[in-house]
Amino acid sequence: MTRLVGRGVPRVDGRAKVTGAARYAADNEIAGVLHGFLVMSTIARGEVREIDPSAALAHPGVVAVYTHADMRTLTVPGFPYNRTFIPMQDTRVHYSGQPVAYVVAETLEQAQEAANLVRVRYRAEPPVARLADAPDEPFLPEGFRADQPTETVRGDAATALEQAEVRLERTYGSPMQHHNPIEPHTTTAVWDGETVTLHESTQGVVFTRNVVSAVFGLPPADVRVVSQYLGGGFGAKGPVYPHTLLTVEVARLARRPVKLVLSRAQMYTSNGHRSEFRNHVRLGATRRGTLTAVIGTSTAQVTRTDERTFNTNDSAVNLYACPNIHVRQLGVRLDLPTSGYMRSPETTAHFGLETAMDELSYEIGIDPVQLRMRNLRPTDPQNGRHTASRHLPACYRMAANAFGWKWRNPLPGTTRDGDEYIGWGMATETHSHNAIRSTVALTIGLDGRATLRTATQDIGTGTYTVLTQVAADELGMPLGQVTTLLGDTAFPDASLSAGSSTVPSVVGPVADAAQGARDRVIALATTDPRSPLHGVPAEDVDTEGGRLFARGDRHRSDSYRDVLTRHGRPVETRSHVENTRGHSFGAVFVEVRVQPRLGTVRVSRVAAAYDLGRVLNHRTARGQVIGGVTWGIGFALMEHTAVDPNTARVVNPNLSTYLVPVSADTPSVDVAFVDQPDSGSNALGARGFGETPGTGVPAAIGNAIYHATGRRIRDVPFTQDKLL
Amino acid sequence: MRLNVTVNGRPRQADDVWPGESLLYVLRERLGLPGSKNACEQGECGSCTVYLDDVPVCSCLVAAGQAEGRQVRTVEGLAEGDRLDPVQQSFVDAGAVQCGFCTPGLVVAAHDLLRRTPRPSDEEIREALAGNLCRCTGYEKILDAVRTAADAS
Repeated sequence: MTRLVGRGVPRVDGRAKVTGAARYAADNEIAGVLHGFLVMSTIARGEVREIDPSAALAHPGVVAVYTHADMRTLTVPGFPYNRTFIPMQDTRVHYSGQPVAYVVAETLEQAQEAANLVRVRYRAEPPVARLADAPDEPFLPEGFRADQPTETVRGDAATALEQAEVRLERTYGSPMQHHNPIEPHTTTAVWDGETVTLHESTQGVVFTRNVVSAVFGLPPADVRVVSQYLGGGFGAKGPVYPHTLLTVEVARLARRPVKLVLSRAQMYTSNGHRSEFRNHVRLGATRRGTLTAVIGTSTAQVTRTDERTFNTNDSAVNLYACPNIHVRQLGVRLDLPTSGYMRSPETTAHFGLETAMDELSYEIGIDPVQLRMRNLRPTDPQNGRHTASRHLPACYRMAANAFGWKWRNPLPGTTRDGDEYIGWGMATETHSHNAIRSTVALTIGLDGRATLRTATQDIGTGTYTVLTQVAADELGMPLGQVTTLLGDTAFPDASLSAGSSTVPSVVGPVADAAQGARDRVIALATTDPRSPLHGVPAEDVDTEGGRLFARGDRHRSDSYRDVLTRHGRPVETRSHVENTRGHSFGAVFVEVRVQPRLGTVRVSRVAAAYDLGRVLNHRTARGQVIGGVTWGIGFALMEHTAVDPNTARVVNPNLSTYLVPVSADTPSVDVAFVDQPDSGSNALGARGFGETPGTGVPAAIGNAIYHATGRRIRDVPFTQDKLL
Repeated sequence: MRLNVTVNGRPRQADDVWPGESLLYVLRERLGLPGSKNACEQGECGSCTVYLDDVPVCSCLVAAGQAEGRQVRTVEGLAEGDRLDPVQQSFVDAGAVQCGFCTPGLVVAAHDLLRRTPRPSDEEIREALAGNLCRCTGYEKILDAVRTAADAS
């Protein structure tokens, strides 16, 4: 039956993207649009005392300068807004780079220049910007999501640690990082009477609509959000941010459409970040390497106004079978913007666990793969259910074989190539995925073509392609006979494209709607005396290539087009199918080359293998692996937002000083998939996967550096100064 | 000023242009060609790469006035009708496109590389594309695409 699902078919939107025809949120031509530019606070804590817009207003093309004095009182929305205030509602400044005024002008350059001319006077208070500088003790915030508690207790970890034959206690750290999708955030707000349309760069059109509806007191049906293509999000475009809400209000005040594109520099304070992070890890184990206690206490930055933390310590709780666990996620209040989810948020804590496991393997004297294998169990340690990690041993085996791990001399500092020290390291990869209720509508028109509509979106991962594959297979049509339309709240509500949730949430409903439509068309044919299939039992009809065949007598056939033409009306189905949360797994092995005189680290080889249930499209799945591994390389070797401790300002808000990997930093990645359907997932046996690859890469690189040099570095990024 | 510029072989005009505004803004907001992308506004990412008189440039760093009377070729001008340029086709075939936002700049940069160096080495490909940042693909498939396009032409 399956012809397209599983195959690495090229992207259905590839042509639009290589010709420049794909329309991203800022690419729409809107008549009479004004360009907006934000004036951001230059202090991190204090109050706006006076705003003088006169020079800006005198600048050519400037239409208005709006401040808190112009704004209505807006309702602070709930999740996924993630903060308790909206800027420009009062004079209080909570972080450097907070919007304090909003300029609108006829052209972008005019708005930008005028924003520089707005004079703002402040009353400043000294800010605190680093965990190390915080005067207050870390505290345990209340969890804001039921599925992500800030504290997990299992057994008696303190006693078990005390009694353990082998004990390890270490602290690991990572700095603030920024998502830096290549597409900047953009919002264009177009009011028509009491309804508003947003062309928005978002990972969730439905969430954005719900938030805007709550803030402005509008019925959801009066807010339309469109995001046909997204130029990368990585969590930066998952929640809704203040600039979107301000643009909606400013467009209402200006009585004209307003387009806002955040500058690259503004994106370092406007759309969340990965918080600076400390992870204190204590492991207890037997001399044979069986874990008896895992105690993890992490500390992340929160703000003066909000307590939300986003880097959950999932793997310490779920990955290894240990009877005694105590995991806590503490917060420290700093004068910085609210942090947020950033691609594979569980990497942040997982880096500590997987480095500690490597340290434990040396402490005990066993191979790091063996140590992990010794602590796997076929059931979820939290609830005793079977989990998909039963394929994790296969992942270790496949990736280790591809890498040549058995040739490794475990002694650090023993392998050299000329000047360079060579090291091999590994780690387990794992991340959770969500499942969000999603509805899809499928129509087969009189021309026999199918159109799928659902308000999820393709953020670059391949959603258009995979959903088209699934629908085409279930209908028995060629790929080109199905059109998938996404990213518009005019379609039925569907999943946020975050938390690796799109495939597990939307594939089931697509398959179900397509099966329903196929069955309806088969019934129309078999009951129509004009059809060659008239009288054939419906269960004896197959569909393939856009045609319907009598099984066993393929000369009796009809086509979708002919059936629908005779019927005279389109066939329409809708479906939603619930799925459950889960995890995907893998193993990653890396080789590094360390130049001892310069302290430089280069990743020269990577081999990885994954269990994500059934692989729906090998090409897009592989794309997620290579991209995720590249993020892991960035996390390990370069990504670091530098915040000035005196002013709490980001000092490297650009792509020439916030380094991300370029083509010269990335080796080729040897990728393998177990590719066994997960019977527990009704997304054709596929699980969410996008955020699993890369989760183990920072630890694997650090472990390889230790193997190369004998130097254990516990703070990323592993920069030259730490290796000299 | 009234700007006269030939874009993708067609003479175009735009009125009331401030000579200091970027060529990228002119292309996107005045001439209806949003294929070239704005991402960093300062020449760091390569997403806005276009040909200016056959030389690839970051159009965000070119002032509109500098383009007066000159030839511009954007990603929209690479295909011949329905037939994609080999570089474009190989980007689709190799899986070198994910979110697609860096793609227009990368396609123009790769097109320029193969014009100058029809059989580039891996090092030459990496060097030529080092000014184009991609946050999704991890580059491997982009390099594959350039190799494939070199073989095809």
